[in-house]
Amino acid sequence: MALAASLGLLAACGGTTNTPSGGGLGTGPLLVGVVAPFTGVDAALGPAYYAACLAAAPSINSNGGIGGRQVSCQQFDTRGEPADAVPAANAMIAGNSNLMAVVGCTSDEAATVAPIINRAHIPMFCMTGQTEFNKPSPALPYFHRLVPADIFDAYAMVGYALYGPGHAPYKNAALVFGNDIGSQAFVAPATNAFTKLGGKIAINQPITLGAADYRTEVTAMLATHPDVIFTEALGSAGTYLGEVKTLNGGTMIPFIGTSATIDPQWFAQVSGAVGVDTLVKNYGGVDLGYTFSGPAYTEFITNLNAAASTFADAPKYKQRGSTLHLYDGIIMTALAMTATNSADPTVYNPKIKDIANGVSGATVVSTYKDGVAALKAGKSIRFVGAGGENNFDQYNNSQSGYILVNYDAQGNEVKIGELTPAQTVTISTAGGI
Amino acid sequence: MNLFVAAFGFGLVSMSVIAIAAVGFTMQFGITNMINLAYGEVMISSAYVAYYLNRAGISIWLGMIAGALFGAVFSFLLNRIVYAPFQRKGTSYLGMVIVSLAISLMIANLLLPIVGAFNSSYQNTGTSLVRIGSITLTTNQIAIIGLAVVVMLLVHGLLRYTKLGKAMRATSANPTLARNCGIPTQRVVDVVWMITGALCGVAGVVAAMNSDSFSVASGAALLIPIIAAAVLGGAGQPYGAMIGAVIIGLVTELSAAAWSPNYKEVVAFGILVVVMVLRPQGLLARRGAMAAAG
Repeated sequence: MALAASLGLLAACGGTTNTPSGGGLGTGPLLVGVVAPFTGVDAALGPAYYAACLAAAPSINSNGGIGGRQVSCQQFDTRGEPADAVPAANAMIAGNSNLMAVVGCTSDEAATVAPIINRAHIPMFCMTGQTEFNKPSPALPYFHRLVPADIFDAYAMVGYALYGPGHAPYKNAALVFGNDIGSQAFVAPATNAFTKLGGKIAINQPITLGAADYRTEVTAMLATHPDVIFTEALGSAGTYLGEVKTLNGGTMIPFIGTSATIDPQWFAQVSGAVGVDTLVKNYGGVDLGYTFSGPAYTEFITNLNAAASTFADAPKYKQRGSTLHLYDGIIMTALAMTATNSADPTVYNPKIKDIANGVSGATVVSTYKDGVAALKAGKSIRFVGAGGENNFDQYNNSQSGYILVNYDAQGNEVKIGELTPAQTVTISTAGGI
Repeated sequence: MNLFVAAFGFGLVSMSVIAIAAVGFTMQFGITNMINLAYGEVMISSAYVAYYLNRAGISIWLGMIAGALFGAVFSFLLNRIVYAPFQRKGTSYLGMVIVSLAISLMIANLLLPIVGAFNSSYQNTGTSLVRIGSITLTTNQIAIIGLAVVVMLLVHGLLRYTKLGKAMRATSANPTLARNCGIPTQRVVDVVWMITGALCGVAGVVAAMNSDSFSVASGAALLIPIIAAAVLGGAGQPYGAMIGAVIIGLVTELSAAAWSPNYKEVVAFGILVVVMVLRPQGLLARRGAMAAAG
């Protein structure tokens, strides 16, 4: 108990923990902490982020490391619970003086762990969708987000319902989201935008994630006769949607998922419950616009496949947006350290934004190797990675546009359309942003 | 009104699943004095045994038998290798609960790398609908209700009319006296772990069948209503667990129909708290563990 208290005190004291004596890049291995749910109902999230790190580390290590320092990855399980996340983050910081970056921190735990990591001056790349991180107060300069807040996912879902290809505009939507913090973040913006654009919310049904069944909930939902379901209920989607199909006499209601439903585990879960054909025919999703091509993606996919020797499921995340973005975040951090010739995060953290956004006259690079070469040649660089361009604002949020997608029978994401800028503005305005 | 009738039908299925599991759980406690918090993980492990057989093309009902056998052997070994040595050393009651909690976490985390964090679903299970008024059930769910009735009757017959059942009740009431009377209590305990393990295995498979998809995390979620039913009926009382299962199963579904589904567990556990305040020994406990069986 005394040891735990001491560790907690050390972590709470914060301060820079990985500055090597004598400055410069220092020596010894470096660590990327993957702070995310690896168990619990959101256990599907952590592996996607861990896969990102396993792909990024060899990109750095096989090209001289960071000043010779090799990068490794370690999981810190938050169980998807804010209360469990705090000791996990504290233990990570107290036990590892060589942390170069943290990735993960989903909506489940970001509110509790981001301030802790920020106090320790460790750059973090969070997957949280919470809107409050758009305008953090107090400021969290070590916080970075490479994906839009959930409200934009919600708006894109509304866009799919109203403007998506292959169907008449949906007008009567059931909102079926998990009752966790992260999933509920979609409800208000989706409701605002959809109703102001002429739609009706047939039912707003928060569901308890992890329940054995949802038959009564599904019966109540079906009684409202929605023509579409908006959903994110990770871990329970298969059970819920399977019961929708069963209790609706074998006929599925079209369902639109958030970008988190573009996930091999989600596909396996839901296709197992409703059948692949039903899923392919009735699913619509929204995602950030990825090309899944180019030198950065080529290196990413090569390393991801190679990571199968460490983590067998790694190759399954080849099209997972969060995996691509967090891969980029780690590479950008490594380049920032190289550019500043420092392992002191107070020095290299501001450089991450420069490398992501680029400065005037910057050379565009797509791999760590090319970035290091350009830096050694005295050039300033802009990193455009596997997830595409990044544009951090003053709060370190990077936004990009949405595409409309579905799945093929093999579980690959298929782009079927995109929202025009005018449509995006219309929805955002209706939603209140 | 229709929703309430439909919810009642779903409650019958839920109570059937809970009843099979809760009877096994409470018998384990009543006879071996062990609150086995790893019960949910053994359930889900058994569900995965059936899943892999089902994926290989074997009927889920045969998979259930395999799951029951697995649950029986797993539970027997769990007791022999882990619980019994601790009990022999005189580990306190609370200590044993902590040990079982640790085992529960170990099983869950050992399962994860084997089966993955992916949710899984049984294939080719009967999903044709049967409508009785507003009640809509699948053929599988009706079979689960029937199975639960058969299991309850078998448990009743075992405890009431067999020599083994009498030995189990004697071991439960006073193991030292039972031993002095010539009852091989160690063997009885072994058999109890196997029987309750088999019930646990069957419960795991029917719970997974009833739920359209399941994962490792489902084990912990399943345990909560099982404990509630067992405690509500009177810890250690198989018949009490049956009654507890009926109450928990029906109340959770009916409250979901009446209010927000978010509150269904709150209502069920609210009833549990009220019963515990008014009747701390549970609904059926009269003369100690297993008394109702005699």
